[in-house]
Amino acid sequence: MSDRSPIPSGTVSTIRGHYQAPGLTWITRVMMIAGVLGAVLPGRAGIAVATAAVVAVIATPLLRVAWLIFRWTQEHDRRFILTGVALLAVVGLGAALSALGVGS
Amino acid sequence: MDLLLDALLAFAAAGLGSLGGLGGAILLVPALVITGMSASEAAPLGLITVAAASISAGPRQLGERAVNHRLGVTTELVASSGAVLGAIVSGLMSDSFLTYLLAGVAVLAALAGARRKGLRNPPDPDCDDSDIGERVGTLAGAYPLQGQVVPYTPVRMRPGLVLMSAAGFIAGTAGASGGFIKTPATTEVMGVPMKVAAATTTFTVGVTASAALIVYAFQGRIDVETASLVVVGSLLGGQTGAALQSRLPPTVIRRLLSVLLLVVAVVLVVRA
Repeated sequence: MSDRSPIPSGTVSTIRGHYQAPGLTWITRVMMIAGVLGAVLPGRAGIAVATAAVVAVIATPLLRVAWLIFRWTQEHDRRFILTGVALLAVVGLGAALSALGVGS
Repeated sequence: MDLLLDALLAFAAAGLGSLGGLGGAILLVPALVITGMSASEAAPLGLITVAAASISAGPRQLGERAVNHRLGVTTELVASSGAVLGAIVSGLMSDSFLTYLLAGVAVLAALAGARRKGLRNPPDPDCDDSDIGERVGTLAGAYPLQGQVVPYTPVRMRPGLVLMSAAGFIAGTAGASGGFIKTPATTEVMGVPMKVAAATTTFTVGVTASAALIVYAFQGRIDVETASLVVVGSLLGGQTGAALQSRLPPTVIRRLLSVLLLVVAVVLVVRA
């Protein structure tokens, strides 16, 4: 089964990962060091560094969506700005409902 | 020693997860439970693996222009809505019913991927480097494959989004990222090329995992000491999986994904 898609019409997005990729590489390195230190360092220092690594893991994918919304704003792509904002709102709603104990 | 074993398992799960766009929690959580960890402790670690692999696979997948962010955010909006609903009603469903449902979906997805032969989206000789990328205002795009350019336009969005919603719902009830449903749905229903689907799902499952991890953090269920080495293993695994994804042809990845999905189905049934 092989049916070639036509060349999509429209403007090619300027989002090419020029900022995201180095940012994610940098964050990955920092998290890796923090992860190792969190396991090796004793006491409160170890727990603090390990907590920082976990917080970075949780925050980074959401920051990536926020960055995309910013970039889509520059491209005047309203449809996807709204989609991105709605996604972050749903994530926030889910967190809020859980914090309130709904469904648990 | 247990921490090192956890980190090694996280490495393997993250590697396979980012290679096939599965997420990885569906593989890691059962493995951790087999080693003696409780399911409630293993679930947050599984999602940490998913989020960390998503982050570390990102630079390579972005460099290869394989991620379609517009498609990812659109499908993730529906999936996250399903996940919130799933989390709310999770107490109403029996665990065994859900587990067999997951296993059935995994087998169907594996068979759908294994049945198909050849490339659905071949390169277009009329395209050049300037065509590579997403299209503003649409879900379409083009990505590079072995020196050529492959254009694609997602099709059958309604059934595709229904499946994404189901993936989210299952993620919300089962505590997995749903990647093992999202990637096959993106390729087999929406007709998106395998590499784009896997890279885009790897991006979106990171968001799903983050949302769920916030909930776990509120509930005080994240053991940061164990999680720190799991983060390291997952970051390395995510990079390894993304590197393998760029070297292997899409047909090989699709077959490997089918095998992994069958493994997932067997693991789920054994757990049940």
